[in-house]
Parts: sequence; structure tokens; C-alpha cells
Amino acid sequence: MSHSLRSGRNQVTLALVAVLLGVLLVVQLRAQSGGTGLETLSAQDLSDLVANLNTRNDQLRVEVATTQAQLDGLTAAQARGDSSLGQLQSDLARVRAWAGLVPVAGPGIRIDVAGPISSIAADDLLNELRNAGAEALGVAGVRVVPGSVIGGDPGGLSIEDTALADPFEVDAIGNGPTLTGSLTRAGGIIAQVKATFPGVTITVTPIDMIGLPATTRSLVPSHAIPRL
Amino acid sequence: MSSATGRPADRRFHVATWQVTLTVALLVLGFLVAAQLQSETPRTSYTSQERGPLVQTALGLQAQQDALKQQLLDMRARIQALEGTSQGSAAAVKSINDGLQAARMGGGLVAIHGSGLVIQLEDSTKTIPPGANDTDYRVSAADVRTVVRELWLAGAEAVAVNGERVTVSTAILDIGGSVLVNSAYLAPPYQVSAIGSTDLYGTMTGAPSFVEFVRARAEAFGIQISFARPSDVALPAFAGSLNLRYARPAPPLPPSPSPAP
Repeated sequence: MSHSLRSGRNQVTLALVAVLLGVLLVVQLRAQSGGTGLETLSAQDLSDLVANLNTRNDQLRVEVATTQAQLDGLTAAQARGDSSLGQLQSDLARVRAWAGLVPVAGPGIRIDVAGPISSIAADDLLNELRNAGAEALGVAGVRVVPGSVIGGDPGGLSIEDTALADPFEVDAIGNGPTLTGSLTRAGGIIAQVKATFPGVTITVTPIDMIGLPATTRSLVPSHAIPRL
Repeated sequence: MSSATGRPADRRFHVATWQVTLTVALLVLGFLVAAQLQSETPRTSYTSQERGPLVQTALGLQAQQDALKQQLLDMRARIQALEGTSQGSAAAVKSINDGLQAARMGGGLVAIHGSGLVIQLEDSTKTIPPGANDTDYRVSAADVRTVVRELWLAGAEAVAVNGERVTVSTAILDIGGSVLVNSAYLAPPYQVSAIGSTDLYGTMTGAPSFVEFVRARAEAFGIQISFARPSDVALPAFAGSLNLRYARPAPPLPPSPSPAP
């Protein structure tokens, strides 16, 4: 075997390895940069995701506009040397109402839950109501805030140390038809709960005006400080 | 240096060089193949014509959402700074600002840090038996909700999933075997971070409902549940809408429209 031939074969081998290396490198980089997880979604899932993102982005645009108006008002008041107490108070009222720190009232639905439902299924009902855009929730007269969890075994459920009777009521303020539609649709949460717990009945009633109390808990964490 | 002139000493040196090059190249190749194999998750990958534009739309919308959230957080920070220097009666301004700070902290509108716990959920790496439901072997929204629930029950004061703070309006949902929190698409693994007392870990892992969860998901299907107890846990601020269209602040009322006395 001549030296030149071997040298040529080496070159071919090296070239092949280099090409393979390049291809794998590109594939790997693509796999890393495409780590969005979207590749695991079917076309139907992607359509759902796009719809969800659209809704959320619209809400965010409204919130950005509201916040911009608030910022402009505050800036103008300060430039004029005016008191911005009114602005501060309306901001405070808005945050408190959203967070569950003051009583709120509005239209919505009442859900009566009867029978041996599990605490997880009852919590899933609250999750579905939030997903459907409920603005404030109450369970047996207790305002639902972060950390409000329905616990206990079927027949002995409780929320925030308040025992739930059988039946118990869930109140949701928001767009009644949207909330009702979301709960009662085929394959929705009510259908799922009934399939899992045949003894449970859930009825939904539209209500013109629901009042919900403020939470009785302090929501300020005692083991955390603001991150600057 | 080496050359291809054919002198024995040179040739030996030359051969050594290409061998080294090839060895290094093959080594890199090996790493890449291993990395490639590892990055292939058990989740199904779809390929179809219609998916391309949808993926692009979803990515574009997610990028818009990220930008809107950042814009919102920036504006909220500026408002908070302006409010701190508001004109007016010093006592009145201070009282309202204190109220605002407390409401924002309580609602999850402030990024915080403190003692706590991080729980990570990952898909199973077990081989899925024929006829089994492959979704049982993946982390679902129900798993994430259960961990969040158990953390609250164990006394957590604040919780976030990946970059999303769990607030009064947070829903945790499945979309095609992956998880949406606050309508943001989260890629696995899912890290549920919680702030609470140093007892949080012991209380949670000792709870019968949590033990049952581990038995049902980790032992039965191989869902990987791991814990970290860093000295400091950081949670992001909620970057979402506080807009109430139906609910209005109201004077204290009975919790339901019961018949007037």
C-alpha cells in the first residue's frame, strides 16, 4: 500500500468523520434550542395552546393599558406637585379586591356539591373555575386565596379550618355563561367528577349578585422578604 | 514539523497526528451521539405539515407574552417607586403605601426570597409496558397541582412553578401532556418552589396524602420526584392581569345572598 494512497484514505475518513460530526452538532444544537417542548404537542394541542396564549395576551394588553394609565396619572400628579392620594387609594382598592383582602360582590354562579366528593376533585373544581376566568371564589362562605386548599376525606372535607357540610356551596364571581359552559361541557370537570364519584351531584345556578367576604388570613409571608 | 516526504521518522510522527485527530473527533462524535440519545425524551414527537406554522405562531405568541409580562413588571416597579415619593399628607401617604406593600406581598405581586423547599417532577424513564397508557408515565398538571396542594397543606406561604407564581387566579392545566400555569407553557422538568418555615419538608413528606401521592406516581409509574432544600429559595412576582370586570369591592356582606332577615 503506497503512502499516498493511505494518506488519501485517511483524508476521506477524516472528511467523513467531520461531515458526520457537523450533522450531529447541528442536530444537537437544534434539539437544545428547540427545548420549548412544543415538539411533543399534536396539531390539536397546538391549536388549544395558541387559543390560550391569545386570550392571555389580550388580558395582558388590557392590564398593560390600565397600568400605563395609572403610571401616567401618577407621573402627571407628581409633575404638578399634586397629591396622588386618590391614585394610591384606587390602586390599593384594586389590588386588595383581586387578592381577596376586601369583600367583593358581582354576578356569577353558585355550585352546589352533594355527596362523597374527594378533596382533590373539589380542588380541581376550583382550578377549573379559575381557568374559566372566575374573579373571586368562595367555598362555604370562606374566601379562596392563595393557600386555600380543600382538605380531608370525603364526608369530612374542610377549607381553612372550616368544616364543609354535605352539600356545600362554591360561589364564583365572573361571567356566568362562560363559567357554566366551562364546567358543564362534555368531558368537563363536572362530567369527570361524576364519572369518578357516581354518588356526587353537582348543580350550577346563575346568580345576579354574589357577595364574598374578605379572607380572614394574613397573606403576607413571614419567612420571606422582597427580592430587589 | 511533520511532512509527507516519506522519511521513516517523519512518517511515524505524521501517522500519530492523524490518529490523534481521528481519536479526538471520534470522542466528540461519541459525546454527541450520547447527548442526542439522552435528549430524546419518552414524550412523543409529532411531525406533520400543519404543525410548522402552529409551532411558529405559538412561539411568537409566547414571545409576545414574555415581552408583555416584562413590560408590566417594569411599569409596576416604576409605579411603586413613584408611590413611595407621593405628595400629600405624609401620614396618609405612608399608611396607604404600607397597605399597598402588604397587599402586593400577600397577592404575590412582589418577587421574594426566603427559607423553603424545591420539589422537582420529571417524567418516568421506565419502559412503558405494551398496552399501558403512556400518559401515566409523564408528569401531568394533576401531579403539579397535587404537589402545590401538599405544600399549601404543609404550611407553605408562597409557591411558584418554574417561573410562574401561584396566585389567587392561577390555574394549572394540561395541554397535550404538558403543563400550563398562568397560561404560560412550561417545559419539563417542573420545579415547584415554596417558601415556608424550616419544618416544611418534614411536614410535607410526613403527610399521609403526600406519601400516597409518591406511592401512586413514583412507585407505580416511575415519576421522578426529587427535593432540594437550598439555603435560600427565590420566587418571581406574578406578571399577570389584576383586572376585575365583574367583581367590585363591596361593604362587608354575608357570604351569600341569603334571604334578608
